[in-house]
Amino acid sequence: MGGLLEWKVRVPDKPMKDRLYFDGLKANVIDTGLCSRCLTCACICPVDGIRVVDDKVDFPDREERCRDCGACIRVCPRFDYRPKYGMGDYLEFTAARSKRFSGQDGGMVTEIMISAIEMGMIDRGLFVGRDERWRPQVFHLHDSSQLEVGTLSGTKYTFATVLKELKKAVLLTRNGVGVVGTPCIVSGVRKLQMEFPLFRDRVRLVIGLFCTENFHYDELMRFLEKKGIKPEMLIKTDITKGRFIATMVDGEVKFKVKELEEILPSGCSVCTDFTAVESDVSVGSVGSEPGFSTVVVRGKSAEEVIAYIREKGYAEFGEGDPGQLDFLIDYKVGRFYVKTKDDKD
Amino acid sequence: MRKVVAPDYTVFEHVKRHAEAVKTAIREAIIPESVTCSYPKERRKMPASFRGYLIFDPDRCISCFGCAFICPANAIRMKEAEDGRYYPTIDYGKCIFCHFCLDSCPEGALKPTKIHDVAYRDLDRMLTLTEEMIEPPEIIREDKRYVEYVIDGRDLHLRRVDGEDELLVDLPPPSKVERIVSCIDPESCTGCRICEEVCEHGVIRSSVEEDGVRMVIDSERCTGCGLCVKECSMRVLRLVRR
Repeated sequence: MGGLLEWKVRVPDKPMKDRLYFDGLKANVIDTGLCSRCLTCACICPVDGIRVVDDKVDFPDREERCRDCGACIRVCPRFDYRPKYGMGDYLEFTAARSKRFSGQDGGMVTEIMISAIEMGMIDRGLFVGRDERWRPQVFHLHDSSQLEVGTLSGTKYTFATVLKELKKAVLLTRNGVGVVGTPCIVSGVRKLQMEFPLFRDRVRLVIGLFCTENFHYDELMRFLEKKGIKPEMLIKTDITKGRFIATMVDGEVKFKVKELEEILPSGCSVCTDFTAVESDVSVGSVGSEPGFSTVVVRGKSAEEVIAYIREKGYAEFGEGDPGQLDFLIDYKVGRFYVKTKDDKD
Repeated sequence: MRKVVAPDYTVFEHVKRHAEAVKTAIREAIIPESVTCSYPKERRKMPASFRGYLIFDPDRCISCFGCAFICPANAIRMKEAEDGRYYPTIDYGKCIFCHFCLDSCPEGALKPTKIHDVAYRDLDRMLTLTEEMIEPPEIIREDKRYVEYVIDGRDLHLRRVDGEDELLVDLPPPSKVERIVSCIDPESCTGCRICEEVCEHGVIRSSVEEDGVRMVIDSERCTGCGLCVKECSMRVLRLVRR
């Protein structure tokens, strides 16, 4: 081999002339309140400069460090935003309860991820755990013995930096990577896969979570403390039938979800995707009996995993009811229209 | 499996072996044969592959950081020199003398010596700067002869030879596989152009065009240092055989 090797990197037009691409992203997505804080931009940034500053995505020293490659704009799911909504296409709608793992409901996210690792489809899954003050932390899961940490399953309702870890996982993996995330994270992963073959080949399983909204850690903790909930004492958080239920060491505190609207991040109020329509499999609590997880199988890879779980008898399967989801799907779409109408007034 | 048991000697064999032992004892009492070498008056002759102190040739160094990256003891730090390039420094307080640095050097800028006995007054002086590595470390030599160990029959013997053992090793230039950089997945390139910035030889160049960035690798001039491979954030650059 020798001679010249040439290739071309297609870069979109600059949204702001004579400014950095990130400035364009900031003006169009972050400052307009569209940003969902999925951190897809931070995942792809070649100098690893994008991070969260005061609950906003920022690149503080961009004048010195930014390479102006435009990758952040290429992968941002909210730049050129086309909202997704509804149930989306699916191959199977079912309910299941894992016999091996316990979780928020049926422990099916953990079950699907561990089964995929056992099948050899992936060799690591990105999970969000938490510390004792409920700050989210990202874990690379290789086998089920790591689940002894105990804080990996269960809903956290706070933004996590999953996608910031994704590039590391993708570069280290031998077989493939599995990711769990909210619909915005799922959309970010799909955009990454569309733009970069590296992610297309190596991210094999994307598990989406049903999501109405997610909160900034500091704001949620301030709000909970006003309600008399101490993060150290919390065991579980859950939203059922319009109520936020915080289970603590010494009892429960319940309040209406509507009260949380005052700290609703702007990026969530413009989101209409409740069921993570772009995922390989969506998992959530609504649409099945208590103790079961609703599982919406959409992709080929997820279908294989579910078939494996059935074959091994790792989970008990029940009946799912798609109709129960309509209320929340409509609620999220409705909120979007209220928000956009407000903006016009 | 073979079981090891004590040999079953006859009385005659017992007497013979005892006689041999007494003979050796008497011989050692009259002319003792020592197998230890009287350092520093004599030194042991080391093989050319001995892993001792390193010397460094800045003219051959291409600042690829390969030695610093591979060092398992983190003893090698790259330091910026006046000419703006980076050269290694070795902290002999940390060095485990594995010579991975030497083996990984693509240009043979690091050379081995058979020197293993250098004294320092304090820990700080064990950090050897680039300038100090160009010449071999200064040692005081009192040796007038060197010793070699030879195995003759069943016994280890010591052979003393007059003269000094040459401590510097003259290595032939490294016979290396010529490698050049190549992009294995151009579609995953972000176009960040960090590779262009780190390349010392202007092998990777980019030009901004209307709808994107054109990247060019001029393989003819590539030295295969691999610096761009380490810096590429998407890991799409690889060293391949020329």
